[in-house]
Order: sequence, then C-alpha cells, then structure tokens
Amino acid sequence: MTNVNYVSELLERSFTINNKEVIDKHQVSFEVEKQDVHQILSVLKTEGWIQLSYLSAIDWIDENEFELVYILMNWERPVHIQIRTRIERENATMNSIMPIFEGCKYYEREVHEFFGIKFPGNPDHEKQLILENWDDMPPMRKDFDPRAYSDAHFAKREYTTDFSNLNNEPSKQAKRNERKNRTLRFKGGKK
Amino acid sequence: MRELKLFLGPQHPGMHGNASVHMFVEGDIIKRSYLLPGMLHRGFEKGMERHTWVNNISLIPRVCVVEPDINEMAFAMGVEKLANIEVPERAHYIRMLILELARISIHLMAYGGLGGPTGNYTLMYHAHADRNTILNIFEKITGHRIYHQYIVPGGVRKDLPVGIEKDIHAFLDDLESRYSEYRALGIENPSFIPRLKDTIMLPAEVVWELGVTGIGMRSAVNKPYDLRKVMPYARYDQIDFEVPVSDYSDARCRVDLKLKELVQCIGIVRQCLAKMPKGDVRVPMSKGQSMRWTVPKGHVYACVESSRGEFGYYMVSDGKSVHPYRVGVRGASFPQGLLGIEKYMPGTRIDDAAMWIDTMGVCSPEIDR
Repeated sequence: MTNVNYVSELLERSFTINNKEVIDKHQVSFEVEKQDVHQILSVLKTEGWIQLSYLSAIDWIDENEFELVYILMNWERPVHIQIRTRIERENATMNSIMPIFEGCKYYEREVHEFFGIKFPGNPDHEKQLILENWDDMPPMRKDFDPRAYSDAHFAKREYTTDFSNLNNEPSKQAKRNERKNRTLRFKGGKK
Repeated sequence: MRELKLFLGPQHPGMHGNASVHMFVEGDIIKRSYLLPGMLHRGFEKGMERHTWVNNISLIPRVCVVEPDINEMAFAMGVEKLANIEVPERAHYIRMLILELARISIHLMAYGGLGGPTGNYTLMYHAHADRNTILNIFEKITGHRIYHQYIVPGGVRKDLPVGIEKDIHAFLDDLESRYSEYRALGIENPSFIPRLKDTIMLPAEVVWELGVTGIGMRSAVNKPYDLRKVMPYARYDQIDFEVPVSDYSDARCRVDLKLKELVQCIGIVRQCLAKMPKGDVRVPMSKGQSMRWTVPKGHVYACVESSRGEFGYYMVSDGKSVHPYRVGVRGASFPQGLLGIEKYMPGTRIDDAAMWIDTMGVCSPEIDR
C-alpha cells in the first residue's frame, strides 16, 4: 500500500472529506470541514506527521470566504499532506492549533497580520510582527490595492533635471584637455 | 543584577541580513530575546499576485539573497506540477549542476561568515575568494553572477556554453585539494574549538517542537532526512551520494556537517557532468503567446532542500488568469528564526548570539519576504 493510500484510508474512515486530490506520489490534499481540523491534525500527528511545514491562508473574495491551509510532513513516510478548510470572511476566526503544533505560533501571527484572521488560543496573535504601525486593512486581502495605499500615504516625487552649469565649472572635456596639455608641457613636447 | 536591553542588528551584521534581535541581558547572559523582523519586508507575496507567471521568474530569486537558485527551482517545480509538464532529461542534470554549485557557494559563505563573530577573518577571505570563482562560473553559464533567472518552468533558459566542464573540473580539483586546509583554519583550529564545542545545543525534541529542517535536524536526530533522498526531485535518485548525520548537535557538529556536505556536493557535480545526456534543455510552456501563458487550476506545494532546510512554495492558480492567485513562501529558517530565538536563545552568552544565528542557519530575507 502506498503512503498516499494509507493517509486517504486513515482520514476517509472517520472524517467527511469534501474533496481529495492526489498531486503526485509524495503529496495529497484534503478539503475538510472547519470543525474537524483539530481532530484531523491530532490523528495525523500520532500517525507520524509530526512536522508542520507551512500554514497560510487564501482569500477567495468572490465566494466571500477564506481558505486556511495546513501542510504537514512525515519523514518516515515521505508525504506532504495539505489540509484545507474554508471559513467565513466576515469576522474570520479559527481556533489556534498551538496545543497540537507549537511551531504554529508565528505562522498564525503572520496570517493574522496579513489576512486579519483571528486565532483565539494563541496568546500573541494580535501583536504586530512584520508591518510596523500599519493603519489600513490587512494587506494580503484581495480588495487591498497597494497603488491606492501608496498614493494616499506618500507624496509623489518630482524629478527635475537641470543641466545648467551653476558654479561656472569647466566641463569634463575641458578639464581633460587641460590635464593633457599640462602633461605634454612637462615632457617638453609643447610650449 | 539589573536587566539591560541590547540590540543585535538591524545594521547588516556580516551576512545575517537586516533583522534585529532584541536581547534582555543580566551580566553577559541573555535572559529574554526575540527577533524583530520587518526591515527587509518587500511584499513579495502580494507582488507575485500582481505580476504574470512569466514576470515572476525575475522576481522570485530576490526572495533569498544569498541562495537564489532554490527559489527558481521551487517555483519551476510548482508550475510543472500544476501544468503536468515533463522536463527534458538534460535540463534535469543542468539544474542539479547549478543547484549543487550554489550549495557549495552558500556553504562556503556560511562557513567563512563564522569568521566574523569568532574574529578569524582569514577564513572569511579564503571562503569568499572561492565563492567568487563559483560566481565566475555562473557568469559564464547564465550571464549573471548572483540572480541567474536560469532555471525556468519547462527546463533551463539555454544550454551550457562549450568548454565550461573544464572550468568546473579545475575549480573542484582546486577546492578538494584545499579542503584539509579549510578544516585546519576553521573547526580544527585550537582557537575555534572552545567557542564552538558543547555550546548552542539543539536536542532532537526541540527540532520536532519547532519544525527545524535541514542540517539542524540531521545533526540532532541521526537520520538522513534530506529531501534529495526522501522525495527525490530532478534526478537525485540516479546520483550516488551520502547524507552526513550526527546525534549530538552542538555548534561544532553543525559546522562539521556543513563541510562534509560540501564534499558530497563536489561528488554530485562531477557525476552530473559525467552522466549528462545530450538533447533539448527546454520545453515551451504553451502554444499561445509566449509571455502570457496560463497555468491549469490547482493548489500545489513544491519544496526543495536548501542549505538551511526545506524551502517551499505554495502556489494556487485559478486557471483563468495570467497571474498566480496566491503564492506563499515557506522560508527554511522561519521556525528557528522566530520561535527558536524567542524560546531557546535565552541562556546563551551575548558573544555567542551571533554564532547562534549563524550556526542555526537563520536567513532574514526569507523570514520577511
């Protein structure tokens, strides 16, 4: 039995899987219900998927939903598992998985900063991490427009090119000619 | 004793990038510490959503400054997985050649960078001189020294130039002949050993708790957990190499593994040159416009083994647009750089803090993105 089949059987036996996709022999993805995520992650952790490789979110603005992605890795049975779940976009909240994977602490903090999803259970998730003194909506949401933000916050820089010779300095070519003549004078070539 | 607040960074401290470590110290022992990232945040993930798939090829190498090729490889692998493209055989070998040369250069740079906090600058000059030779080889192959944009979805940009094998073999022979010199200058140097031995420990439990990968993990758990072995990409399954491991992870052991890996890299490059078949190096991505191709719908996570561990791209395509819907970067040093510094740096001495960052392999450009 391949590793991907092993995982599929394990999860399909006890949980509702909305969609399963086998990407290649080392990767498989499951779309699950929001309330099952913590149980699934616990089961997988006891089965050997002890490393949380990645945690992030996707903004599906047309369907008014966020999608959370948890990627787990097992080094004994080399399969990356994507666990994906959809949550509401308004007042987006998802319980933290810190009791299961402690390494998620900063991933959740980053997702909160960039998408505005709240993670009750993670003590620091509302502290600022990367964006210092941010005053707009979370920037990775699809309705955030970086160009509008930049126009509103920063003055347009005006570039002026002024080629007039203010200090009345001789041009580079004149300086070069002068140097050349001086050298020649020292060598006695030109009086 | 009074608690004092000290900063490491954010000015460029050698090669760790522009991140700042805030340390609360009593005497010379760190009591609390945390990383303050954000000085290098350039909004890559948002930027990638606003560029086309083709434009992103020139954007992604900038994610990690010192090791850009892994970005290109992970991005190309992700697009190929989504679009179900088979890369030509020769392109696989050229990719491995580039990746392993890049690994030699980054290991040399990290090893030489250890000369900064320990005050052994000779080592740094030697390592950077050798790295420069690799950059010269890259310049001949790709036309660029640092950001190559050479590994593209569908293969590599163009074939190897004629006669480059001679240059590569000459460099590898030279490096191999001076390998014992490198060891004598660095980790076998009597002035180095007291600084490195039995300090900055990384037990296996901490590895699993944080999610550390790469040399940090292999040095603690004594198993060859390397993505090149465990889930081989390109043609690593047809190459004969070993993954050095250990079960006692102090700073000296992790540096030692780095040097042992360097020897393996030399072997891999030689095998690549010997086994490289003839043929095409690139398949076109689409039949339509060459600059505005689309990628089929799907979610994929593509990862490669970088010098610091598992480095991956999470990519989502909606199938209609010429832009990616979402690209997420899993920086290899995210776990040890943020949670590791907060939980496990306290207890070390101030002068070991820079060495902690160096031997754990923390790279701030990939934490900030």
